Amino acid sequence: MERILCFMRHKIPTKERRKENLPVEVETSQWSGDMSITDVASSLLRCEETFSACLARINSVVLQPLLQSGSFEQAKFFLLLNDHFQVIWDLTEENYRALKQTVTETETASVHNLYLAWKADLFLDAYIQYFSTFASCVVVQGFEHAARNKSEVWKSHKPSLQQLLEDFSPDTSNAVSLHTVLHKPFQDHLQQYSALFSKLEEIKTLGPDKEAIVNASRQFAKLRSFISQALDEAGLTRNLWKSLSHKFTDVLCTPERRLLEDSRNLSIFSSTGRSDRVLLFHDILVLIQGSSLQSFDLKLVWVDETSKETGNHTLRVRTPEEEFFLLAKEPESRAVWKWKLSQAVRQALNGKRDFPLWSHTGEGRAPPRCRFSTFTFRADGRLKGAAYDGEWRLGKPHGKGQLTWPDGRNYVGDFKDGLEHGFGICLVPHASKDRYDCYKCHWREGKMNGYGICEYGNEMVYKGYFRDNLRQGFGILDNTSSAKTPFKYTGHWENDKKSGYGVWDDKEREERYIGMWHEDQRHGTGIVVMQSGVCYRRAFHLDKMVGSGILLLEDDSIYEGNFTRDLMFVGKGKLTFPNGFTLEGTFTNKSSQGLHTEGILNTSGGEPDDTITKLQLGQREFPVEQRWEGLFSQFLEFVSSGGQGETEESFMGFHVQTSKELRKSQEYLYCDRETEEAPKNLLDELLEHQETEALQSYLEEALKSSLHPLGKLLKALASAFQATYGGIGANKHLLAMAQEEVKHYAKEVWEFYQGLRDLALKVNGQPLLEDTNQSDLNGPALILPLILPSFYPELLMLYMLYHEKEDDLYCQGIVDLSLFPDLKLLEFLDVQKHFWPLKDLTLTTNQRRSLIKDRCFLSATECLQKMITTVDPREKLDILQKTYEEIEKTTNRVLEKEYSLTMDDLLPMLMYVVTRASIQHLGAEIHLIRDLMDPANEGGKHDFLLTALESCYELIQKEFRLHQNWEVLQSS
Amino acid sequence: MMAIRELKVCLLGDTGVGKSSIVCRFVQDHFDHNISPTIGASFMTKTVPCGNELHKFLIWDTAGQERFHSLAPMYYRGSAAAVIVYDITKQDSFHTLKKWVKELKEHGPENIVMAIAGNKCDLSDIREVPTKDAKEYAETIGAIVVETSAKNAINIEELFQGISRQIPPLETHENGNSGTIKLGKQTTQMTRRCC
Repeated sequence: MERILCFMRHKIPTKERRKENLPVEVETSQWSGDMSITDVASSLLRCEETFSACLARINSVVLQPLLQSGSFEQAKFFLLLNDHFQVIWDLTEENYRALKQTVTETETASVHNLYLAWKADLFLDAYIQYFSTFASCVVVQGFEHAARNKSEVWKSHKPSLQQLLEDFSPDTSNAVSLHTVLHKPFQDHLQQYSALFSKLEEIKTLGPDKEAIVNASRQFAKLRSFISQALDEAGLTRNLWKSLSHKFTDVLCTPERRLLEDSRNLSIFSSTGRSDRVLLFHDILVLIQGSSLQSFDLKLVWVDETSKETGNHTLRVRTPEEEFFLLAKEPESRAVWKWKLSQAVRQALNGKRDFPLWSHTGEGRAPPRCRFSTFTFRADGRLKGAAYDGEWRLGKPHGKGQLTWPDGRNYVGDFKDGLEHGFGICLVPHASKDRYDCYKCHWREGKMNGYGICEYGNEMVYKGYFRDNLRQGFGILDNTSSAKTPFKYTGHWENDKKSGYGVWDDKEREERYIGMWHEDQRHGTGIVVMQSGVCYRRAFHLDKMVGSGILLLEDDSIYEGNFTRDLMFVGKGKLTFPNGFTLEGTFTNKSSQGLHTEGILNTSGGEPDDTITKLQLGQREFPVEQRWEGLFSQFLEFVSSGGQGETEESFMGFHVQTSKELRKSQEYLYCDRETEEAPKNLLDELLEHQETEALQSYLEEALKSSLHPLGKLLKALASAFQATYGGIGANKHLLAMAQEEVKHYAKEVWEFYQGLRDLALKVNGQPLLEDTNQSDLNGPALILPLILPSFYPELLMLYMLYHEKEDDLYCQGIVDLSLFPDLKLLEFLDVQKHFWPLKDLTLTTNQRRSLIKDRCFLSATECLQKMITTVDPREKLDILQKTYEEIEKTTNRVLEKEYSLTMDDLLPMLMYVVTRASIQHLGAEIHLIRDLMDPANEGGKHDFLLTALESCYELIQKEFRLHQNWEVLQSS
Repeated sequence: MMAIRELKVCLLGDTGVGKSSIVCRFVQDHFDHNISPTIGASFMTKTVPCGNELHKFLIWDTAGQERFHSLAPMYYRGSAAAVIVYDITKQDSFHTLKKWVKELKEHGPENIVMAIAGNKCDLSDIREVPTKDAKEYAETIGAIVVETSAKNAINIEELFQGISRQIPPLETHENGNSGTIKLGKQTTQMTRRCC
């Protein structure tokens, strides 16, 4: 208020210069024939002079009394109205001054001198503001209130008012007078502007400025229709509020709200029942039934024509919680309603009204189907009370959004047709406030389906597959080691419970159970491995051990019979000692007395049998094809489902480089994980690399990538493998199972690759390859060395344990043989003298040739030692071949000619090299190579070399047993 | 296109009887000598036609020294044929041969084709083992027998042809009885070269 008054004081002196009261008059009669800009300018000058005077009068006679007539509800609108009034007045004055200067100082005016045309935007804006506020005054019935409140003031002003209005009759009410005097002069004045603009447009000499003039002229025409529309709407709205009961106006009436259409005016009925009235406002759609009303935010209203459900002339209206029809009697009224509804929705979504309010042409664009908005659900159902903030489509949450329930449950993620669908993160609070379960997973039709990670409030973490909100298929459940009973389960699930093949680590007892489950209980065959190296195979029934089992003890004795979980023998059983003795009888175990037995000790067992100490478990009980079925099947399903990019994660796990990424905030996951490389590119790439060599390097890359489906499969298989054979699982009795599993993985990876390739061909419309074309390519053999690094540490450990005894014997042999100087060793191994590389034995002054060590065949020895640095059997075999080549080179050098080594020559030299290379776990290495090398090598040169190496290994074990021989040699 | 069968052949016999010489003679004129991977004279290959098949011999030498005898099973496992060589000028080597035959009968692969080669027939003037003895012995064990001279290239081809003939032809859709018979991936390419 203070500010406004200051502003006015500052202005009054200028305005008071001209006190003459000129009638409002349009001097159209002078305008005939050709006019110049100067002519227009002078007309405009007169026009502005008159209007300015008029405004001065309105200001003093109407506006100031209105402002000072005390405070009431609507006062703020009058204040605002005054603000906008002053702006218009200022602009008019400004325009007047500029025109005056032009007319007096320059001979010919140009368009640039026409402030009105040049700064049309300022004028338009001022008028729009003024009339918008004026309309609000009308809606809140401000003039009626003002007239009533201060009737005596207006009585005294009546003569002045009369002067301002041409068609003023004494009967006119004060309210109407106020109303009229505050809008009519403005409209009249704008009409003069328009007339001047049309004169301007006729001027031929406008040149390049013509466009600006035409444009401004159009804007002013629009302004005029805007004003009349706004006044119409305001009038209709005011009448509506007057006619409606308080019950409705209390809810609905706001100064800004405008009525756009009324079913009383243009008949339409709602399908929701006995609907009395349909009201369309600029922001909401209202249905009135008797004494109740329903209102719908236009931002979440979708309207389309339909004739299917209820015949012709029907509009379908979709809102978040209601869908209903509007029925019109004639197609015309339906068309009008539809057009108005669409325009109103579009304008509501824009957040501002059009200019003018309704475009005349009627060709307004349709509102978008997909929108962004917030909404709180009220209707009963699972969404009751939940607030949704996000994208919508046809009345349903669709796209990205966030749902928050009153109980604190929160979902952020993808929606489809109103349901959670795609990737989403759901927080479910526990009763105690600071804890919650966090589900990061894939959803289908409102339920968790596919891969997900759940971090439970009780610190357990599940990473695996879900179906209908329950754990199903493959998954890993882990709780932190700080928990009371730390555990980890890697395996299959059904209906949220452990079921099928699975591996359970009891971290407290330091035991691992590998076997079958049913409804969270061990049920079926199982193998238990313990930290101490003891392991046993038992049948389980509802978590209890039943029947007799087989117990493999650390010292290689075996017990067959019944025993407890703490390894006490009970009942009938047979104990076989490592030396072959057996003890068969009935065992009892009392804690105080130790082991008791009555039975027969059989000492005729003879030689201990390797087959017992190397007994392998699990192969028969758990067929390798079925072990991780739940894991692999997801990858195959991805292929058979058509390999859609958006489903990729739900089948194959999250698309992240490292697990760290998943720990980042949920906003990060939500926003940034979507822009992945399209699977189409992936498939195209796959097709481009089908030739054997390209395929090899492609597969190598793909398997290394944590984003490629093949890499994901490998990673998942590796986690299952480590869970079984890592840590406690490193037990020699599991070697066959593990080895078979790795080979099977190669088959699965290849099968998955083929699936992807066939999918790629299908997508590209190419014919599928016939199997015969591929027959010379052994896929699994190609894959195996590529995936082996992922399983190598665990697998090699199993080989080492399995061959521990032989490797120990061999190591002792190596240690003893390593005492020999080079020449003694060559002699001892019967390497023929003419092959001895004596030239390599360079002597320093105080050395004797016979005592030199580690100089002969050094290149071959060093080459062979590299074997342990590689993982791939092919590379190991290459190293072996190079070792042979080094031996050959050395002999050729010694003999000074090309010489083909026969086995008689070669084997002693190879023995020498193997001895000097002293590779610690050679037995484990050899068997790993043999088991995992390409079967195509069988009988070939690599097989031959490996056999030669193996025979050296065997021989060194045996030479050790001939210990005394060396002593003889050494002493000689 | 001819099918290629890989046949593992193991060479047994005392050191010095000329095991390797026989093989070297057998493979030396062969055009794919340079292409075929060899391990000196210890491992060699040669492909010969037989009927409508190609036989690729993968010939494994063994060390003849007495102290390595115990390793032999590692070498002859999976063999389709064994060539057991003795020196006609050394009676001892014929004795060793009989030991090998006995061992193969007991521990060798089932249906292994045995071929006895009496080498150094160019030195018949200092012969110690009569041809008749060898023939009779071979007959009792159902083995191929030839007297060869690696030096003069006598009966070398015949020895291997004899083995080829004894190998039962591959039945269609069946991959033989021992692991050595297979249709590997390299073989198709090689067939193109051979034919």
